[in-house]
Amino acid sequence: MVTSRDNVTLTLAWLYPDSMSIYGDRGNIIALTRRAEWRGIGVNVWRLPKGERLDRVPDLVMFGGGQDREQRLIESDFLELKGEVLRQAIEQDVPVLAVCGGFQLLGHGYRDADGTSIQGLGVLDAETVAPRAKDKRCIGNIVVSTDLGGELVGFENHGGRTTLGPGAKPLGRVRKGFGNNGQDGTEGARYRNCFGTYMHGSLLPKNPWFADYLLEQALRRKYGPDVRLEPLEDSLELRAHKAAIALA
Amino acid sequence: MATAGGRAAGTASRALGRGGGTTLPGIVARYVEPRIAGALAAQLMNGCVLVSGTNGKTTTTRLISAILSASGRRVVHNRAGANLMSGVTTALLNTRGDTGLFEIDEATLPAAVAELRPRLVLCLNLFRDQLDRYGELNTLGAKWGAALAQLAPEATVLLNADDPLVASLGCELSSHVEYFGLDSPGHALPSMQHAADSIYCPRCGSLLDFGAVYYGHLGHYQCTGCGFERPAPNFAATDVRLGLDSPTRFKLGGMELETSLPGLYNVYNVLAAAAAGTILGVDPEMVAGTVKDFAGAFGRTETVEIEGKRLRLLLAKNPVGFNEIIRTLELDPAPLQVYIALNDRTADGEDVSWIWDVDLEQLAGRCDTVVVGGTRAEDMAVRLKYAGFPPSSLSLAADHVEAVRHLLAGTPAGGTAYAVPTYTAMLDLRRALAATGAVRQFWED
Repeated sequence: MVTSRDNVTLTLAWLYPDSMSIYGDRGNIIALTRRAEWRGIGVNVWRLPKGERLDRVPDLVMFGGGQDREQRLIESDFLELKGEVLRQAIEQDVPVLAVCGGFQLLGHGYRDADGTSIQGLGVLDAETVAPRAKDKRCIGNIVVSTDLGGELVGFENHGGRTTLGPGAKPLGRVRKGFGNNGQDGTEGARYRNCFGTYMHGSLLPKNPWFADYLLEQALRRKYGPDVRLEPLEDSLELRAHKAAIALA
Repeated sequence: MATAGGRAAGTASRALGRGGGTTLPGIVARYVEPRIAGALAAQLMNGCVLVSGTNGKTTTTRLISAILSASGRRVVHNRAGANLMSGVTTALLNTRGDTGLFEIDEATLPAAVAELRPRLVLCLNLFRDQLDRYGELNTLGAKWGAALAQLAPEATVLLNADDPLVASLGCELSSHVEYFGLDSPGHALPSMQHAADSIYCPRCGSLLDFGAVYYGHLGHYQCTGCGFERPAPNFAATDVRLGLDSPTRFKLGGMELETSLPGLYNVYNVLAAAAAGTILGVDPEMVAGTVKDFAGAFGRTETVEIEGKRLRLLLAKNPVGFNEIIRTLELDPAPLQVYIALNDRTADGEDVSWIWDVDLEQLAGRCDTVVVGGTRAEDMAVRLKYAGFPPSSLSLAADHVEAVRHLLAGTPAGGTAYAVPTYTAMLDLRRALAATGAVRQFWED
């Protein structure tokens, strides 16, 4: 167990808090921060907008989604000022959660119908293409089963269709909703402790077990494999989790 | 034939208890004659006025309606807020008058401009509201720009100077463009709120430098790249003094305006309506007098008396609007009694993620009683817990009547409690209150 006496702190790098935070992605930051603080663990949130360099490996990384225009505006900044250290962090098992646009940019990129494309970091073996004219946006409540310790419930809203290559495993299997492409039943992607997903809602507040999973991975990496988180009183969160699944 | 069919459908809809028939007659008439709205609008002697924007369109349109009516004009107005073409057509079928005044859904504005050929278009603001319905903000802005470019040269476009995306639409237009805005640095926020949407230049994509932020992304700005900046407003609100139980006051040129509508967001609504009234030739004194007497649009900012206590309804549609309600609640010095009702139906936005962009942390520690309700009550309860509200202070209500009862039980005699519902939750809450006789059904007012 870790307690407040241990003076435990984590640094959470938040990529593009101003421009890539369209669907309540801030909720994920709030959930991780509060759930750490309630256990006496400090979290330093390191905001990295356009123009700021990720110049050291943090303990956790959050990367949200944006509108197409914002995604194009940060493309080169992401590859030049953040990409390489983020790649190192992922290879060192730093937990990363990338939602929607962030997920697409951790993959090989996004290819538009007219052939133009946004280049991604390629650390997740996932390719995203724009929807064809007859395809609708994938919008609605989504429930995903995982082998990480529970079900995830959220809301998805994306036009892009993502296909995984052999180098990435899905985050989970779609039980209700569309997932990566509405076809193959996969949702999100996983490589080491890096997770890409289309689920917001916000994701972590009503899936507290997954928030704790990410926190625990970060703490174990920093403070040793025996670290275990104290359980919290989660009745409201679990009620919201169940209610959201019932509505999906 | 289309006209008769449409009117018959309205009578039938009311008779069947299926609401006030605010859209069905229009749907029927448009099926029979697709160009009916344009044909009816062309018969209006003083032409049409359209009002669109994410926040404030119902309140602003009602203010303009009151101003025009006071000046003796007979206004054809989609009062019940049915703001798609079907609702506009219904209003045109049901009312005779000389001036059209229509609140228009943001995504419908291009079609409304093309069909109705308005003489004045008022663009209030564009906030991120329901992306699952409209697609992206900049795409919507571009569609507005293309639609406004089709206006006749003698038409006027009235734009919010403080909203970069809306103001930028004025650069390319051949019709007459006027701007309204706030000159009130004392009401600027200490920093940009997280819910701000439009922080990059709509013209070149560089970062905007904000000298003042009033709310959301509304403020005084200049582009760090291409030099695009806030246009100087033709209609500027100055000397703003905000009130909650006392009226809010501000100056507009030589006019002294006073309103019972709370909050800085309503200063924008009153300012825009007064500017529109002035452009349409209404005497300034009549504008000021009408604004002073105006009570809120249904459910937006409405106060009902129940058992000697006041319940103030404040509609929350999106993060920016909710943040403004929080700033308004902060004006109340007493411990707050608040009911938050969160629904996730189509008109609310099916995605409730947006509540995490609302600065609810500002209210933690200020509330005595907090009740949550609506189809997504549990999501809101979790949001409040993470905003720092003690879980023991939160209660989840099974329905709106129970929520209001619980809320008022904690409110001292003569005191004020607040209900903050999303759109369909507001309709449900109002229906529940109407059943107890506290408010009227909305199509009656």
